[in-house]
Amino acid sequence: MTLVLEVNGERHALEVEPTRRLLAVLREDLALTGAKLGCGEGACGACAVLLDGIPVVSCLLPVGAVAGRAVTTIEGLGERAAAVQEAFVAEDALQCGFCTPGQVVSATALLEVTENPTRDEIHAAMSGNLCRCGTYPKIERAILRVAGRAVA
Amino acid sequence: MSQRLVKTQREMEGRFEDVWALVDDEDELETWPEGTELAVVGRPATRQDGPVRASGVARYTVDVALPGMLVARVLRAPTARCRARLDLEAARSVTGVRAVLGPEGPFTMTGDPVLTAEPAWAGQPIAAVAADTPEAAAAGLAALAPEYEAVPPLALEAGLEEQRFTEEPNEKLRGDPDAALADAEARVELTCETPAHVQTPLEPHAAVAAWEGDALTVWVSTQGIFDARKELAKRFGLETEQVRVLAEFIGGGFGGKQGAGPEALLAAELARATGRPVRLVLTRHEDQVVGGRRAWTRQTVTLGARRDGTLTAVELAAVVDMGAAGMVFPVAEPAFSLYACPNVRTMTFPVRTSLRAQNAFRAPGVVEGVTVLEQAMDELAVALDLDPLELRRMNHVDRDQATDMPYSSKRLLACYDRAAELAGWSTRDELRTARADGLLRGMGCATQIWWGGGGPPAHANVRIDASGRALVTTGIQDIGTGTLTTARIVAAEELGLPLERVAVRGGDTGPNVYAPVSGGSMTTPAVMPAVRSAAGKARKTLLGLAADVLEISADDLTIANGRIKSKDGALDVEVTEVTEKLGNATIDGSGTRGPNPEGFRVNTFGCQIAQVAVDTGTGVVTVERVVAVHDVGRIVNPLTAASQVEGGVIQGVGYALAEELLVDPTTGIPVNGHLDDYKMPTIVDVPEIVVDFVDLPDENLPNLGSKGLGEPPIVPTAAAIANAFAHATGRRTDALPLTPARVLEALA
Repeated sequence: MTLVLEVNGERHALEVEPTRRLLAVLREDLALTGAKLGCGEGACGACAVLLDGIPVVSCLLPVGAVAGRAVTTIEGLGERAAAVQEAFVAEDALQCGFCTPGQVVSATALLEVTENPTRDEIHAAMSGNLCRCGTYPKIERAILRVAGRAVA
Repeated sequence: MSQRLVKTQREMEGRFEDVWALVDDEDELETWPEGTELAVVGRPATRQDGPVRASGVARYTVDVALPGMLVARVLRAPTARCRARLDLEAARSVTGVRAVLGPEGPFTMTGDPVLTAEPAWAGQPIAAVAADTPEAAAAGLAALAPEYEAVPPLALEAGLEEQRFTEEPNEKLRGDPDAALADAEARVELTCETPAHVQTPLEPHAAVAAWEGDALTVWVSTQGIFDARKELAKRFGLETEQVRVLAEFIGGGFGGKQGAGPEALLAAELARATGRPVRLVLTRHEDQVVGGRRAWTRQTVTLGARRDGTLTAVELAAVVDMGAAGMVFPVAEPAFSLYACPNVRTMTFPVRTSLRAQNAFRAPGVVEGVTVLEQAMDELAVALDLDPLELRRMNHVDRDQATDMPYSSKRLLACYDRAAELAGWSTRDELRTARADGLLRGMGCATQIWWGGGGPPAHANVRIDASGRALVTTGIQDIGTGTLTTARIVAAEELGLPLERVAVRGGDTGPNVYAPVSGGSMTTPAVMPAVRSAAGKARKTLLGLAADVLEISADDLTIANGRIKSKDGALDVEVTEVTEKLGNATIDGSGTRGPNPEGFRVNTFGCQIAQVAVDTGTGVVTVERVVAVHDVGRIVNPLTAASQVEGGVIQGVGYALAEELLVDPTTGIPVNGHLDDYKMPTIVDVPEIVVDFVDLPDENLPNLGSKGLGEPPIVPTAAAIANAFAHATGRRTDALPLTPARVLEALA
């Protein structure tokens, strides 16, 4: 069936099964490979995208459920994520980088809602994003840096 | 030319082999001595590829999409041992399925079978299909309609009784430990199990293969592109130059992504069969079950000592759950080498069981060995009423006792002192004062040993063009450690160019510039000297050309920060004043890695101190703080070096507290092969981590004085945590990880 998807501000009319996962459609049909398939089980956050501004795990979402809603991927964040991306690079909050697009999506969403998050708020917002390389201390520093509280 | 072929030794994770290496006498640059003021080396630098990683632009193997590409899936053994019958023809007739490989093939590749009808472990590949879509591939797998005849799995304890080993048990002996133990004034014995620990790179194992005539191009998520090239060429009967392996971005490896792997072999075979590119990506569950793991062990350590704490005997008996096969990693090395002791016996029993062969995971063997030995050392300290750090200092050794060779450098005592200072070790008993939160607190330490000296062969090329920029080409792969940026720093330092005028390219066998596997903590010590040598030659040529252009002797010129200056200060021009005259010509330098000095053992050392809080009501252990001080020679990039340490510590926290692959004994099936039940640390579980380095060059190592840092930081973490737990509670668990259930049982 034809579904109309709004991704990164553009409308796409796609012939897709509504039960296919949003992540698969983004990666395979729209060639937006920034969001990653880390587990396909909603447990790692590497596939995080914004749905109407809220971070969601796109690997579990049937694409039929997001028709008519605004999907924003790492590629579509543009200037909204620039400060977060700069801070991730400056603080070395990325190693292999595979989880990083998901981390940036979650961190951007957090900072848009909570300009000056506490440590607990950072932990709550970021605990769904796994990083096997162990960049967590630097992710926290990067978020604090964006909030104007760079750690010495 | 002053190139020679020399016979030398190559070390990888404690295994030594003789190799021929091409060396160049012109490459023998002196190691910058301690205290040298360097412009770029030793200063924090962000990653050259940081922005592409942070923006989602970086293309990993799983992101590679080629026109006409097919999707492959693998049928895997549902239980540990079984015999499978398949309907291959039914699968071939499914719409959208383009090729089906069964246990008998049809294969064009030679060598050990990649598919089998009689799997020995759960997850072993039985058949593979390539299809137009994932859905068609899944339908193809279903049409195989496999029927299985189950065979009971091989159990570990029975295997030990039956002496069912993957290879002969190994015994190493020094002195007379039996007599020394009989005469010991103090004696402790400790038995502890260490868990099966899954690497879990977030990018699963994956490969994309494409043929063009007899030329094969493979993208593979691997730690060793040159190993992959060699394996693919051999299997498919090709010359090495007919195979190109690419791995520009790799989503983690941690030891578990070696060579081509079955993924690249199957993708290449299916691509050949269909005449179309094929992509094979493991699912998360597949990766957890078949990607590999650090082996489960059960170790008993017996220590004998004099009343003053001097060790007189060390004995280790280690049972290792090997799974189907695999290399036996050096679990006994810490017992044999870590402390001065004249009488040592280590025994390693590699039991064959019905699991996938265990494989390398960050400091394989040594993590397991240190985790148990260092707990026994703390028990000895308790028995003798000695400070645990003092006991370790007292038994310090400055030579490798197996070979009686001195270490090329060892600043472990400085690590102890610095870690103690940063952790507040001298007042650690005050942690045990009751606090309002009701938690029990304690502090524990552990020592790190690993290799990490690198060695030949390794090569690099540096090319300077008319724009005055340099391109470094090497065969290294950056699995997340930041090695490309390390190479950039070293080249910039030697060239006298600012960082932004140097770029590094790796992850491609196309240029045929060899670098070793990203493993064994060898990339920095093996490859960076070659990078510096290549840059040194380019710099020399550039100065010679500058002499022509500026009409002044090259000996009177230097380059710094992108400017060529005369030593008397009269002349100061941009390098482009010279390079722009190159037109389309380039300045090229190639560098090789010379041998390590003879007569030394090259090892890395360190000390970690952990502080934990134990909730005696719930059994939850929280790691509050870890101080990590390591001696790995000169630090090239303090920013990424600290990241390596934090990452190693965090993986060690997971190993100590929660990570444990569990296997159903009746079927041999790993039961927690998903990320919601195999519990890795999240941002919430991370302690405060304090990182420091001795940061002095090892002046016996060629040209940089740096050792590797990938492995060292994970080595002592779990032992330090277990020792902190014992300090807090006075108890130990007989197995790790310290799950609430085990903690409550130990406290009961």
